[in-house]
Amino acid sequence: MRLRSSWEIQKAVVYALFLREVKVRFSAGKIGYIWVFLEPLLQILIFVTIKILLFGKRSNFDYAVFITVGFIAYNLFRHIVNNSMSAFKSNKALFAYKQVKPIDTLIARLLVEIMITGVISFIFIGVGFYFNYDMHPENLGMVLLAILWLILFAFGFGLMVSVIGFFFTSFIKVVKLAMMPLMFTSAIFYTLSDLPPSASKLLSINPLVHFMELIHASYFHSLTDEFVNYTYILLWTTISLYIGLLLYVKLSKAIVSQ
Amino acid sequence: MIKLEHVTKYFRTPHGKKYLLRDVSFTIPEGVNVGILGRNGAGKSTLMRMLGRIEFPNRGRIISNNSFSWPLALSGGFQGDMTGRANVKFVCRIYGKNRDEMYKILEFVKSFSELGDYFDMPIKTYSSGMKSRLSFGLSLAFDFDYLLIDETLSVGDKRFRKKSKDALFKKIESCSVLLVSHDMGTLREICNVGIVLDNAKLYYYDNIEDAIKIYNNINS
Repeated sequence: MRLRSSWEIQKAVVYALFLREVKVRFSAGKIGYIWVFLEPLLQILIFVTIKILLFGKRSNFDYAVFITVGFIAYNLFRHIVNNSMSAFKSNKALFAYKQVKPIDTLIARLLVEIMITGVISFIFIGVGFYFNYDMHPENLGMVLLAILWLILFAFGFGLMVSVIGFFFTSFIKVVKLAMMPLMFTSAIFYTLSDLPPSASKLLSINPLVHFMELIHASYFHSLTDEFVNYTYILLWTTISLYIGLLLYVKLSKAIVSQ
Repeated sequence: MIKLEHVTKYFRTPHGKKYLLRDVSFTIPEGVNVGILGRNGAGKSTLMRMLGRIEFPNRGRIISNNSFSWPLALSGGFQGDMTGRANVKFVCRIYGKNRDEMYKILEFVKSFSELGDYFDMPIKTYSSGMKSRLSFGLSLAFDFDYLLIDETLSVGDKRFRKKSKDALFKKIESCSVLLVSHDMGTLREICNVGIVLDNAKLYYYDNIEDAIKIYNNINS
């Protein structure tokens, strides 16, 4: 057999896993297709309704767009982390092939999530334009950069909790439980400037808040990144990636063999 | 050639470490078919998995320039919710086969394994015999220096066993086999040399008959 480079092998493995993931998620008879659209749609409808009922329509930016952008970004993070945590267990049988490394399953799932988010964003933005919402981002490059950064953070964080969760199953439950309150404390459907200083200070502990503020600020002219602490999210990103990769390097063999 | 250097392998159990291999060094020469014998739990499958690089020694190392198949074992190797076809495609892809090669392999595996309609059913609906047929057929479609076969030859009905053995005879013209089996007949037919695993030690015999004799002594 012709010898392939590690890079070639890993590319082939990730591609094979990617196709498998897509097939499993979207095979006929599954509600995968519908849920992918329904989930953000419900989130947006619910929170736009709450907002209008509680605070009326006054706002200096389009609130529906604001919430859509927030939820798409937040869902991307949540799905990457959640799907990472189950990736090792559900692909265990495939570790019988030495080419398949555990981290490849995370990369494949990450790519699936990015693809889904891309498709959803296109559709939501298209629908928004059709109904004359102002979907133009203030700085598209910065929005994409912020999302890319969020993806990197999600990958590092996902890797870290997946490796820990593989050996301590209850840890996965804790992280999944934590995702729910995270939705309310991540500045998805409000800005920190709406809140009293004490509250915004408290919420700033959550790194997702900074990502959301950054994405929103890059999207809307009327919003600024005054609450974004770039150093803080850089720290979260590098530390997550560092711990995640460190644990993975130490324990990947145990994940393969178990 | 396969070289084991001071290989130690143990599992942690509630009662302490259970050693499967304790500081084992030896070399399997080029071009021989190896029968691996040992009682249940002696570490035969673990040795196969270590050679297949999906299990790793706690100490020491295994050196070889050769390519090894995945361990063809009764359990594992297939994702239960994927169909037989999807699993074959998956393996073709990770081995970097192109579309034409993949098509040929699919045809071959489908006809060799005699799975019929089951080929397009999820693996979890398969019996263990069907899984082994798929696994064995699939391994025949690839070129390795060493085939790692863990018991899978002894499943299936008599006719299929004969067919597998014939296919294997043809295959070992171009590759070597490491075979775990409790069937002495099969071992005699296919293997020239033997390894006996006992008490975390590994004994190598130039002649499979000697290995079988020792194994029978251990068992009696």
